[in-house]
Amino acid sequence: VSRQGTEAAQPDAIVAAERRAERRAALAFLACAAAAGALAVVYWRGGNPRVEGILLGLALGGLGVGFVTMGQRLLPQGPVEQERHELSATEVEEDELEEEFERAASVGRRRLLMSALAAAVAGLGAAILFPIRSLGPKEGGTLSRTPWRPGMRLVTDDGRPVTVAAVPANGIVTVFPEGHAGSADGQAVLVRVDPGVLAPKKGREDWSPQGLLAYSKVCTHAGCPVGLYQAETHQLLCPCHQSAFDILDEAKPVFGPAARPLPQLPLSVDAEGVLRAQGDFSEPIGPAWWNRR
Amino acid sequence: VPYRFRLSALCILGFVAVGLMTLRASAQSQEQPQAQLDPEHIYLRDCATCHGASGRGTNRGPTLIGVGKASADYQLSTGRMPLESPDEPSRRRKPAYSEETIAALVDHVATFGGGGPEIPKPVLEGADLGLGGELFRQQCAACHSWSGTGGALLDREAPTLYQSTPVQTAEAILVGPGTMPAFGPAALDDEQVDNLVAYVEESIRHPRDRGGSPLWHLGPLAEGGVAFVLGLGGIMLIIRWIGERE
Repeated sequence: VSRQGTEAAQPDAIVAAERRAERRAALAFLACAAAAGALAVVYWRGGNPRVEGILLGLALGGLGVGFVTMGQRLLPQGPVEQERHELSATEVEEDELEEEFERAASVGRRRLLMSALAAAVAGLGAAILFPIRSLGPKEGGTLSRTPWRPGMRLVTDDGRPVTVAAVPANGIVTVFPEGHAGSADGQAVLVRVDPGVLAPKKGREDWSPQGLLAYSKVCTHAGCPVGLYQAETHQLLCPCHQSAFDILDEAKPVFGPAARPLPQLPLSVDAEGVLRAQGDFSEPIGPAWWNRR
Repeated sequence: VPYRFRLSALCILGFVAVGLMTLRASAQSQEQPQAQLDPEHIYLRDCATCHGASGRGTNRGPTLIGVGKASADYQLSTGRMPLESPDEPSRRRKPAYSEETIAALVDHVATFGGGGPEIPKPVLEGADLGLGGELFRQQCAACHSWSGTGGALLDREAPTLYQSTPVQTAEAILVGPGTMPAFGPAALDDEQVDNLVAYVEESIRHPRDRGGSPLWHLGPLAEGGVAFVLGLGGIMLIIRWIGERE
């Protein structure tokens, strides 16, 4: 039923249309009441998230349909106009504004005010210069050292010391320095290979007892955890940018964007069969930084 | 096309499909008799070419001495072994033997000696899925992806976990078949393995989909698409109806 139609029609036609709208809105509200009642029952009987969701949707939907029908059919329809008052300024107001402007123009002639403002700006500028010193290059060695110290035991992320017997052939464990479990700098991947395939370079001969090798888990490209180990090919993979490191050749990169090898952690085994570090990593861990040589 | 022709074409298609399935079923049942062979005979016929008659290995395949029952059972029950040829990539297939034959073959391989891990018996009852999920994301997700669909490695791939039974998952963790490293007691203790296997079994292989239709587990993009088209579209229609003037 279009608006023009109802306006042209007899008043009792409008009354009939309004009655229909009223019935429709009432029906929607009753549907809301019924769904809400059912929702309460379902919840009381132990609940079922899907049914409860549907019932809540029906209840709120019924309420909404009722309101919209009410608003569209039973309330007065616009558009309604309201007259505004005159917007232009009076002559007196214009004069006052002009006077204000003239007063502001004389501020520049107040010398005390201007020199105090200059002092404020200069002081603030000088204060900003001091924090610039904090951006300086001295990191004090924190970037090139990790918590690993000579003789420190290797532990898992929950702090259990790692024994040789607990690492099977082709095994992998993420290890941390004892007392620093979860340390971001100190984390290392411990893998076990067949000692027969090892051919350590000069200076690293005693770093890998019984085929156990440990390398920093922080990728030298962008610092991601190098946690993927392909036992067949003896390669550590970084999941972020697919850098691959050959653990039989000092973890030198063989694929991907990483340019530096993973730093190696020299290992030893104590009398109880627990793995210990001989010292810190062979070089600073992680990606390069500004004054890394 | 007239309606009755379409109906009869559908009927014919249906009969053909049923016929084909029956043929397939009977073909499968005819494969069974090989189970009667003794395990040593099967070993010599299917495995010895590469692994040697007494499991010492040849230049075509590695030794089986000391691999353990867990490894042999994993390779045979996932259909990765036997291979047609040594160059064939190892991937999951339909197992070549029945369960009893596999058990007999595993026992036969164990007679070569060297010990090795026994077939694990994961206990899923009372396992902590929350802890299992945490371990999964720490230890497995890097290669197998957080949803267990598997992923690409360097010239290798990590397989999907959807077909892996609890025992096979536990075996893989224990022995590290192929490219996969082994996770010994230092990496995961028995309880952690149970939690992990339970997580793979219950949350990855059989997710409960509490949110309703899983949309074939296509992932967030599919869900987003449905929410965008149906959800936003529906809201647009409702907004239009609310703003409508009679």
